[in-house]
Amino acid sequence: MKGKYRVIVQDKRIRYDFTIHRNITVIRGDSATGKTTLLDMLTAYATAGAESGTTVNCEKNCTVLTGMDWKNRLAGIHDSLVFMDELARFTASEDFAAAIRNTDNYYIIVSREPLANLPYSVDEIYGIRTSGKYGGLKQTYNEFYRIYGSRDSLVYQDPSLVIAEDSNSGYSFFRNIYDKKGISCVSANGKSNIHALLQKSAGTRILVIADGAAFGPEMERIHRLIESGHTIALYLPESFEWIILRSGLLKDSDINAILESPEDYIESSLYFSWERFFTALLVEKSQGSYLRYTKKTLNPVYLNDKERLAVSKVLSPLLDDDAAHSTR
Amino acid sequence: MLHIHFGNLDGEIYNPPLYFLHQYEDEWITDSLSAEMIRDVDKSTVVGPRLIDSPVLGAISPRELSGGVKTLILMAHDNSGSIFNASACGDNCAKWILKIAENKDLTITLHNIMKFDQEPFAIHILNTDQVVHTFREYVDAAVMLI
Repeated sequence: MKGKYRVIVQDKRIRYDFTIHRNITVIRGDSATGKTTLLDMLTAYATAGAESGTTVNCEKNCTVLTGMDWKNRLAGIHDSLVFMDELARFTASEDFAAAIRNTDNYYIIVSREPLANLPYSVDEIYGIRTSGKYGGLKQTYNEFYRIYGSRDSLVYQDPSLVIAEDSNSGYSFFRNIYDKKGISCVSANGKSNIHALLQKSAGTRILVIADGAAFGPEMERIHRLIESGHTIALYLPESFEWIILRSGLLKDSDINAILESPEDYIESSLYFSWERFFTALLVEKSQGSYLRYTKKTLNPVYLNDKERLAVSKVLSPLLDDDAAHSTR
Repeated sequence: MLHIHFGNLDGEIYNPPLYFLHQYEDEWITDSLSAEMIRDVDKSTVVGPRLIDSPVLGAISPRELSGGVKTLILMAHDNSGSIFNASACGDNCAKWILKIAENKDLTITLHNIMKFDQEPFAIHILNTDQVVHTFREYVDAAVMLI
């Protein structure tokens, strides 16, 4: 499945109106915000259709996956939005991650667990809030909101330490940038190692650079460290490859169209996370050119003045004006 | 005192709202602490043991309370010795968990890092046998265990 889908679920008292953008969406937040009620209404509609007194409007079939035989049921679900209730224990399992990989559904999971096996985006973690009454005075209108807001709202331009999730090309590029600024840049060798490095370096101003497209499982942990007083800032582009694609170095009209609305191009059965799609796209589009990209080793051409400047412009939230506009 | 085990624990009640449906007692609902928690978290008023007035859903039974409040009521009143998964509760339940633990030894599991920032407190983290007293100490311990 690709594309984004608006979903309206309502009965006489409550209306939910939200849009699903990617293959994995997580809903969490305070108690009593209406998460279970949403799932109950979807279940009612799946059981009896409009006769249930609820209506569900969506271009795709919406279904709820529950119970201990989830795996058998899932095998028969295609081209659908699949919702899972809070406390469906299987959603945190490796089995579940393996079962949904390469499927043509989108999954909406109500859970406060980190769901470490699922590569979901920091952008697709939502809470539900009431935004008032709809239609008449009797119907409460509920909408989704992004729990972690803007991706780079708290970026430091002068960190004492930079931790990059990546250990390959992305890390090589960031280390080159920060070496020139006299700032230490280390690789975490994967997102699940970042929190341990953060604690080891407590007391310094740390900037974390990670792939936002799959960083969802780490967000609560790092957000809590920030709330408890650790001086940490986050820069979470989709991925390093997305930055290069955004830089304009590759002259290809397809790229701009794809970056404008990636959901229209990224097939969920082929790409478990957008990060992998952007890597594949960059490798394909740079093939045969001097900008040939591989994830493992950074093509040194990206460290040349012109190319480095182009990529740095995309990184402007991270860099002060001089660094973003000059390679010296 | 509040005792927390982070992660899976053999025998924990992972889905407390489901357990609640089959185990709750009428007097648990009308108890003053339960009524206060229902008012604060669910913004609803207990009218009687089988009737609650919800501003969104209208007249509801205890079966339609939020998963968080059902779990809090179990923590306060269930004396079976069961250990409940507090990840069924949102952060807006944290102060109530600490309040319940003021009057009894309460052991819970957590599968996420609930926001316990209502200092001062004493929380015993069972995985490391460590007692933490500040939000920062609690978070520093929890991030390594989730």
